[in-house]
Amino acid sequence: MPTKLQRHLASVFLKIFLRDRQSIFFSLFFPIIFMTVFSFANSGQQDPIKVGVVNNSASIVATDFAQLLIDNPLFDVTIGEEERLRNELIEGDQTMILILPESFDAQSEGAELQLLVDAAQVQQLGLIMPLLQQTLISIEREFRNIEPMFSLVVEDVQARSQRYLDFLLPGLMAFTLMQLSIAGSGFNIVEFRRKGILKRLFVTPIQPKDFITSIVLARMSIVLIQLTVLIAFAVFVLDVRILGNFLSFYSIIMLGTFIFLCLGFCLGSIAKTQQAVMAVGNLVIFPQIFLSGIFYPIESMPALMQPIAKVLPLSFVSTAMREIANNGASLLSIMPSLIGIAVWFVVAFVLATRLFVWKEVAN
Amino acid sequence: MAIIEVENLVKKYPLPDNKSETFFAVEGISLSIEAGEIYGILGPNGAGKTTTLEMLEGLIDIDGGTAFIDGIDVSANPYKVKEIIGVQLQANEYFDNVSLVELLILFGKLYSREIDAENLLNKVNLLDKAKAKPDDLSGGQKQRFSIACALVNDPKVLFLDEPTTGLDPQAKRNLWDLVLELNGLGMTIVLTTHNMEEAETLCQRIAIMDHGKVVAEDTPQELILKHAAEPPTAPLHGNIEDVFLALTGHGLRD
Repeated sequence: MPTKLQRHLASVFLKIFLRDRQSIFFSLFFPIIFMTVFSFANSGQQDPIKVGVVNNSASIVATDFAQLLIDNPLFDVTIGEEERLRNELIEGDQTMILILPESFDAQSEGAELQLLVDAAQVQQLGLIMPLLQQTLISIEREFRNIEPMFSLVVEDVQARSQRYLDFLLPGLMAFTLMQLSIAGSGFNIVEFRRKGILKRLFVTPIQPKDFITSIVLARMSIVLIQLTVLIAFAVFVLDVRILGNFLSFYSIIMLGTFIFLCLGFCLGSIAKTQQAVMAVGNLVIFPQIFLSGIFYPIESMPALMQPIAKVLPLSFVSTAMREIANNGASLLSIMPSLIGIAVWFVVAFVLATRLFVWKEVAN
Repeated sequence: MAIIEVENLVKKYPLPDNKSETFFAVEGISLSIEAGEIYGILGPNGAGKTTTLEMLEGLIDIDGGTAFIDGIDVSANPYKVKEIIGVQLQANEYFDNVSLVELLILFGKLYSREIDAENLLNKVNLLDKAKAKPDDLSGGQKQRFSIACALVNDPKVLFLDEPTTGLDPQAKRNLWDLVLELNGLGMTIVLTTHNMEEAETLCQRIAIMDHGKVVAEDTPQELILKHAAEPPTAPLHGNIEDVFLALTGHGLRD
């Protein structure tokens, strides 16, 4: 249990933070903007594929065929001259052009349809081709009145499909807690030292453990409050759903906060100036932004990077939080992440207590 | 009775440009400061004044010799010493966004005391600034507030490191009155200063330090009699500044 002094000092730190409106605003502003932008950018279904159709045939069959394509929600069809559509394809306004030959009618056997694509622009060509083929086959069947032998019925087993925002939220939470924690211990300590506050405290009977405990208590409350605001915004405004247990989710948040506070104490003890702590801090923060699977899954990174990325503290924290939020995982089922978090917990704590020596840090 | 007993105190650092050589910031000084006196430590920049105070306050390690405050060994029991001393440092900045009253209450808690913040502010003439933030204070007010912070534990010894540096004459006189008033209540006060008038006005005894050593120690009057070069035209002896220059020379220090 924290002592009376520790609680009082923590309440003073909390007060200092709460009175600093500007930094509260900015620490909430960034994640909220991020979430909102991604919720708009990614709200709809897959966009229909833009297909230009050049109808060189005067037959009714060709016109009906084009009409069937237009009616298909998978395609956004423009009918026009080959010359114009080719230009549009090069401009990137069309994804592909389908050319119906002159001989395209019910009597023709195996008329050749020509498909023009700009391969450089169509990364998903492999995905579109089977889709197109499938559609052509079903259209053909309709013309020839053949009953299909099989039909595929797709059923969505998840009540709701996962949006990018659902993926992003836990990572963004983990990132925010890292920022708040490292700033709370590391950057603050350097600032207190510069002002001579640490020295002033050191000539009073306060022990380093009182000081550290107070900062941890205050920051823990700040992180919990800020993340709760962000989660509430995500859940109530952006309709993000957290499937797992909130208690598990918050325990990971608290463990992560503790790890990054300890790492912050290490930074603050090593770096002697504000510039130095910024530089060293960025060295810790930046690689983790890109490597810890916050914005995209670690699995999509180059294979060479993955082993490094996976053992970063933020990776363990964000993966655990994502498993709980997106898949409703229990603490037991995310053992590997928990073990990683535990190892970092011990490493960070031991390092911090070794490096944060009152006499050294204060002077 | 001496409340501070210092014997052969040593502080050494490796030279910045030559790590194998050591530099003595304080080289074997001995002091005996009586309970209830105002004791001044004078010296050019780099003489070792602040280093000496910081060793007595437990801020830095003592590399040699002994220091006792009120019978407590500073090296062995730094936390016991911290309970009975009050310290005003040269840097006097505090946490942002916290009022004077809140800061004083916080300092009280550091000594596990519930204090009467208004009463303390009244003592240093800052009662009307109770709700102000330290950043809103003038230089003189800041120094008085620093002293208020140093008084939260009713210290037996008050250390003041250059308390009037940078203050205008009014603020300086005001601070002197405060120091004399506290001393009148029986508090032992140890201060460093560059202001000779201050040393002469406030201090019952003075030690002059140079190159980490005490070069002279006595009452201001005795020092003037012994060391001040007698100006040929002046009917009286010189002042403490003449003593200071006679003992430490005219060379500029950095």
